[in-house]
Amino acid sequence: MIDYIYDGSFDGLLTVIWHHYYTDRAAGIFTEDRYQPSFLQGSMEVATDPDKADKVYQAIRQKITAHDLRSVYRAWLSCDPEKEIKILRYVVLGFRMGHRTFALHSDPVVADFQAILKKISKEQERMMQFVRFSVMEGGILYARIQPDNDVIELSAPHFCDRFHQERFIIHDIGRDKAVIADHGRWLVSAFALSEAPKASDEEQNFRRLWKTYFDHIAILERTNTRCQNNFIPDRYRKHLTEITTRQEGEAGESI
Amino acid sequence: MESTLMRKLQILADSAKYDVSCSSSGTGRHGSGSMGSARVAGLCHTWAADGRCVSLLKVLFTNNCVYNCEYCVSRRDNDFPRASFEPEELASLTMEFYRRNYIEGLFLSSAVEISPDYTAERILKCLTILRESYGFAGYIHAKIIPGVSPELLHRIGLAADRLSVNIELPTSESLRKFAPQKKAKQIFAPMRQITNTLIETGSLKGPGNMFKGQQLNTADHYLGASALPREAAMPAETALSAEAALPDIRRRSLKGTFASAGQTTQMIIGAGSETDQAILTTSENLYRTFKMKRVYYSAYVPVVASPILPDKLTAPPLAREHRIYQADWLLRFYGFTVSELFGKGSANLDPDLDPKVTWALRNLDQFPIEVNRASYEMLMRIPGIGNISARRIIRQRRVRAVRFEDLKKMGVVIKRAKYFVLCCGRYYGDHSFQPETIRNSILQMESGLQLSMFDNDWKPLETGERQEKLAAAGVI
Repeated sequence: MIDYIYDGSFDGLLTVIWHHYYTDRAAGIFTEDRYQPSFLQGSMEVATDPDKADKVYQAIRQKITAHDLRSVYRAWLSCDPEKEIKILRYVVLGFRMGHRTFALHSDPVVADFQAILKKISKEQERMMQFVRFSVMEGGILYARIQPDNDVIELSAPHFCDRFHQERFIIHDIGRDKAVIADHGRWLVSAFALSEAPKASDEEQNFRRLWKTYFDHIAILERTNTRCQNNFIPDRYRKHLTEITTRQEGEAGESI
Repeated sequence: MESTLMRKLQILADSAKYDVSCSSSGTGRHGSGSMGSARVAGLCHTWAADGRCVSLLKVLFTNNCVYNCEYCVSRRDNDFPRASFEPEELASLTMEFYRRNYIEGLFLSSAVEISPDYTAERILKCLTILRESYGFAGYIHAKIIPGVSPELLHRIGLAADRLSVNIELPTSESLRKFAPQKKAKQIFAPMRQITNTLIETGSLKGPGNMFKGQQLNTADHYLGASALPREAAMPAETALSAEAALPDIRRRSLKGTFASAGQTTQMIIGAGSETDQAILTTSENLYRTFKMKRVYYSAYVPVVASPILPDKLTAPPLAREHRIYQADWLLRFYGFTVSELFGKGSANLDPDLDPKVTWALRNLDQFPIEVNRASYEMLMRIPGIGNISARRIIRQRRVRAVRFEDLKKMGVVIKRAKYFVLCCGRYYGDHSFQPETIRNSILQMESGLQLSMFDNDWKPLETGERQEKLAAAGVI
């Protein structure tokens, strides 16, 4: 048994899976910044190897299913600190059970893996719900968001389909990266912008209109803040226009 | 000018909020138009302070109304600020909101200004600007006002994804009492036209999985001129006149272009004296006859003083609305009928327990059920099991037997299900298999949980408080 340390890339993780079979069983899989040396077993730094990664990639597709391969990728986007070992266990089980693996809902290995996927799907949907664009100079749409998992790329196809004649930027400010799209084509790139650009008067006016609508659509007699809070977790609120916008004359800064 | 728009938005959102539906589901559209798409599952963008989701920009086109329905905030006699949008103004506001990802689309309803046709023409103009000038491919839900001409309805349907005609009151007796200017046949005629056009364009899907596996788009389901809900709680008013007959608009090539997300309607709960059974029977008839996607329910909020309505101090019957929704789900997705949901003697749902549990307790002879052998239909009838967990059980038991410990991981609500299931032949509930014992055990576990879903400290707004709040918000 050995601890593996990899570079955090998807190919890197696949390379570790290869080593699990051909070098030594994995006790834990870590990125360098998360690794704390253990007295129980040795460690090995794995250099990402495209050939080994490709072998594992093809094996998952052929011996489990293409759907599971996509799931493995999605799970890798998670912020779960044990995602690598959970993915490994699922893949190991998958090589034994084949295409039926995902039906074993009550198996602890499958349950762990599917719990990660559920969180990813949930946050993928939240990206589609909670991204709020501001129209910037030159008509570029810019949104700031801070998801727990690295999911902005999963929302790119949705927004490209919807805004296929627009240029937009979805900025994950926690990871300093962004989806940058132009007329339906998109890429993920490193991106840093510490402050949101100043909004024009017109933009601020639409924010206030939206805030007004948001306040007036609620039925006072049915006020149920707990229900509202369950649906909009606190951590998303600081980027939601309808929550952060202040009406004219109200205290606070209009961002 | 901007501040006028702000004010209109305040007034017309305030007037529209009693419409319940805000769903953007039922149709998928990708890669068309200049901007926009629609997701089959719909998408909520935010949740308002009352906990209801905001998916669409839901506004009235105007709240200037010639009608005087007792329950309605926009009724002619109510002292409420009035406003109307211009078609271009609303279309452009929708686009600006949509572009910023605030909304999935537009929900456009209206009060009746001058006449139903005049109002419908204004609505149509707005939708045409959106679809044609702006190339908008997002979601549009349009409200059809009873009494509108069939031609206009058809053209609105071509622009909209979903249409709805509000029935508002569950029986014709209430309708006469509270909305004397509306007639039952005026409500059913557009509903029938919508269903028939959906059949003609091959896109009638029906509610939930009520008609799963059945071909609905055939002549058999076509509603003739006298088609009204069978054994309806809405009797009489039959025999529609010949001039209301449908124009010949059979165009097969229109598949999916006419209101492809189907039609819905809405009923008020607690304005009249109807029982839950009467309300749900009307819903069932609407589902079976018009095959509409959904009936929405809205707990009556006393917004206007009226001698014949519950007074202004009455709390909206939220818990009752909740039970009726649960029962409605049982009709559409779980294969139940209304007659099964009500035992002998009571025409109202049990306020303490959900309708599936009460059904199971009345039919304890059918339980406990072995989860490793039961059909999908029977699994769906077990309290605590829904469609996701039922499918997981079926998927897993092909590979490996389902044990009691597994149920929880599959999403089954154990505290309800355990009284009604066997796993590999073993029963995991308490010792006594009696309706009363099980009822008490479930109640004990759920006390405090079910009720607290709603704020218990509901207080009616003091006299003038509503006016004050509206004034503070700058509406009046």
